[in-house]
Amino acid sequence: MYIFIIRRFLQLIPVIIGVTLVAFLIIQLIPGDAAQVMAGEAASEEQLEQMRENLGLNEPLYVQYGTFLADLVRLDLGQSVRTDQPVMELVAPRFWITLELAFWGLVVAVVVGLLGGILAATKQNSYRDLGTMMFAVIGLSMPNFWLGLMLMYLFSIELGWLPTSGWGDWQQIFLPAITMGTAGAAIIARMTRSAMLEVLGEDYVRTARAKGVKERLVIYKHALRNALIPVVTVIGLQFGYFLSGAVLTESVFSINGLGRLVVDAISQRDFPVVQGTVIVLALTFVLTNFIVDILYRVLNKRIEIN
Amino acid sequence: MTTPLFETKNLKKYFPVKGGVLNRKMTDVKAVDDVSFAIHSGETLSIVGESGCGKSTTGRAILRLEEPTDGEIYFDGEDFRKLSKSQLRKRRKDIQIIFQDPYASLNPRQKVKQILDEAMAIQGVVPKKDRPARIRELMEVVGLRPQQAERYPHEFSGGQRQRIGIARALSVDPKLIVCDEAVSALDVSTQAQVLNLLKDLQRKFDLTFLFISHDLGVVRHISDRVVVMYLGKIVEIADKKSLFDSPHHPYTRALLSAIPVPDPERKTERIVLEGDVPSPMNPPSGCRFHTRCPFATEICKQEEPELRTAGDMVDGHQAACHHMEEIVEQYGKTPSVQE
Amino acid sequence: MAATDKTPILKVEGLQTSFFTHDGEVKAVDGVDFEVGANETLGIVGESGSGKSITSLSIMQLVESPGKIKGGSINLTGEDLLKKSKSQFAKYRGNRVSMIFQEPMTSLNPVFTVGHQVSEALRIHKKLGKKDARQEAIRMLKLVGIPAPEDRAKRYPHELSGGMRQRVMIAIALSCDPELLIADEPTTALDVTIQAQILELIKNLQESSGMAVLIITHDLGVIAETADKVAVMYAGEVVEQADVKTLFKRPLHPYTKGLMNAIPRHDVDMDELEVIKGTVPSSAEMPSGCRFMKRCPYASEICETHPSLATPTHNYGVEDDSGAVRCWIYTEEWDTATKKQEVQ
Repeated sequence: MYIFIIRRFLQLIPVIIGVTLVAFLIIQLIPGDAAQVMAGEAASEEQLEQMRENLGLNEPLYVQYGTFLADLVRLDLGQSVRTDQPVMELVAPRFWITLELAFWGLVVAVVVGLLGGILAATKQNSYRDLGTMMFAVIGLSMPNFWLGLMLMYLFSIELGWLPTSGWGDWQQIFLPAITMGTAGAAIIARMTRSAMLEVLGEDYVRTARAKGVKERLVIYKHALRNALIPVVTVIGLQFGYFLSGAVLTESVFSINGLGRLVVDAISQRDFPVVQGTVIVLALTFVLTNFIVDILYRVLNKRIEIN
Repeated sequence: MTTPLFETKNLKKYFPVKGGVLNRKMTDVKAVDDVSFAIHSGETLSIVGESGCGKSTTGRAILRLEEPTDGEIYFDGEDFRKLSKSQLRKRRKDIQIIFQDPYASLNPRQKVKQILDEAMAIQGVVPKKDRPARIRELMEVVGLRPQQAERYPHEFSGGQRQRIGIARALSVDPKLIVCDEAVSALDVSTQAQVLNLLKDLQRKFDLTFLFISHDLGVVRHISDRVVVMYLGKIVEIADKKSLFDSPHHPYTRALLSAIPVPDPERKTERIVLEGDVPSPMNPPSGCRFHTRCPFATEICKQEEPELRTAGDMVDGHQAACHHMEEIVEQYGKTPSVQE
Repeated sequence: MAATDKTPILKVEGLQTSFFTHDGEVKAVDGVDFEVGANETLGIVGESGSGKSITSLSIMQLVESPGKIKGGSINLTGEDLLKKSKSQFAKYRGNRVSMIFQEPMTSLNPVFTVGHQVSEALRIHKKLGKKDARQEAIRMLKLVGIPAPEDRAKRYPHELSGGMRQRVMIAIALSCDPELLIADEPTTALDVTIQAQILELIKNLQESSGMAVLIITHDLGVIAETADKVAVMYAGEVVEQADVKTLFKRPLHPYTKGLMNAIPRHDVDMDELEVIKGTVPSSAEMPSGCRFMKRCPYASEICETHPSLATPTHNYGVEDDSGAVRCWIYTEEWDTATKKQEVQ
């Protein structure tokens, strides 16, 4: 197990290098002169030169990348070209908000998805199964922002139960979390259903029944533990999508998260901020996958031998 | 003695085992470890053994479906291992293989006649215009109706599918047919049909078979000579009569005595082997059977026995055991069954 | 040997189990009767599609949808199991009636330790606490011949060989000291030397506990070795029943005879195997009369009528009444029918 974790960790290194390289190249790949693009049409020659100097654009590429990495290790992501604030200071608080939002979205997705999948699988081809799967299709095909707006209209404006926007109070969690989690719930429900159906046909489930284990335990203990193995991977991926997909939900509910930050930064051509956000998101994604891999391994004792 | 149709010398097939932090090769699974035998034209040689003994790997390695790690293979006097990929492809028509699950090797989207036609087209053995007639003939030879060639594999029962597999193998006029557990998945009554068919075909077309099976009953029925394998090694090789009437290796004796006899009146004196077959990744030192052998002594742990002929063994009968003379003397020739 | 004078442990009467598919009803088990007494082993032998496995699953009420037990009764020491509610029957399953299956490789749950899986039944039925159940599980593992049971109890199934896993299955099945053990092809997936160990183990455990054993197999060798009585099944019916010595000495039903002559044997030379022509008919083409008719070398006109399982009264050698056969040849009607044919 430890060997596996170490090996898996070593495999992370090239991925992380790749991620930083891509993020680094963002600035290099801007068509034309990056400084010109950032500084705007009206910038004078001195201003441009200053901008190049600040961004280190006059150094050879490998030196720039080296400096970039060295800064990164010190958690220095550079400075915003608009506000001169360190990017780290801009990103960190918003990152926590987005992380929190994604977490609650995931809670909704997992709870609803697992329950729906199990309910559908244990009564295959019944109305219950059909109904659950229909909801899954609707949930999957409904655009995120539209669902958010509809929820807001119903619960905030018509019923007045929940606040329309903002982040911080516990009441403000519900609507964005549901908005975010619905599509994930649908995917997890479908995945759980097919995994459960497969597992319920396994010999060891029959063995459990033959032992006299109650049907409820057969399903929630013997079958679910095995069905979870493929589902966990999907859940991990969902979390990654939630982080990057938070933009829309954050816009709808006026939440000041990472999504908002990056949208604003792009429109203001504040590339260091874009770069910083990309790095933070990508590293979180990579880390999530790492954790999922280990979890998968813990759940599935069989891989250890192979 | 005539030159054999097929011969392999010191055949080895090792599978690397990877592990550790850097996923480097740790050790080898010695699936087939120094195996030599020959098959003469027109005979049936069987390889028998329990799971993990290397019998199927041997079958695949001699066909170069899996490249052997080491050893020589001669087919029809030709050095089979020296053939290039394209030469090998041409030679494949001479050696055909029939698997345990014929369904897995039959394309479900092709009609039987297409399957047979394709086999002939690839090897270019029969001109296109003669193929329909040949397909009809093949269907009849394996006991199916020629009209059934219009059907798809899933429309057949297990036994019939195995007949299709046989027809496909026959379609290219092979010199040697390898049957890898070819009847193991079939019910007793269907199995008997297919076994009889194989015997008939051998008589009719002078075929040579390498028959790989775990079932000693089937092996006794079909073979002329038998090779017994244990953990990648040959422990005994003999003509059928000698092997079943006077087995010399204690593993062969135990194997024979372990099979339940369909006759409640016969009392079987069983040599019960303790424990499981050890892992081929880390086989026991000396004689690989010594960990389970009731007759093992110190020498068995240290020295690996060679295949050899003891005083009363006839017709190329060989076994690899340090103690076979004493065992046969003490326990008699036939180990298992007493009236 | 058999203790037939007492009430049987298991008595199955007129059992019918069908599968309701899109193509209609498939009668997998169609009116099967048999009984097994304490300390007795009944072997059910048949080829795939004979209904032998469905019979055993029916007793455990483990037949899965679209299969359904349609009729008959399954009596365990006089109580009809089919009349019990689901929750009532759950108290019997794994406790008084246990089962082991063909595939030891897949019959154990890969994500729980062996010890956990053995102690589970003990905790459910014997209401043992965690610690006691674990102790008892280790004792059971030792009983079925697993070396170093304390260590093995902590292992996961994939760390054990096939033979060891089947021993674990037996430990699970026997943990609550059942009155009846059903073994469905318990050694088919195992190598012969391991098969010998497992059969020996079941026999020894039966001797010490006195349980009734129902062994289901396609292998007549296994039957000859383990069973006291045999029922031969074909196409959902029992076609012949006899004590084991009688059956092998003088099989009566043409199917039983054919089966015996079709096995290639390792202990005798056979030049040509006798062949039962054709295959088992599908449910759509099942003859309304004798189900073996189309494959039978002796089939006659009278076989168009469905024969019943009865004590043979005609055309067989030894006088004894221990067996029953479902074939017209052994009835008076056969003589009259065939004579009539000869006259015509």
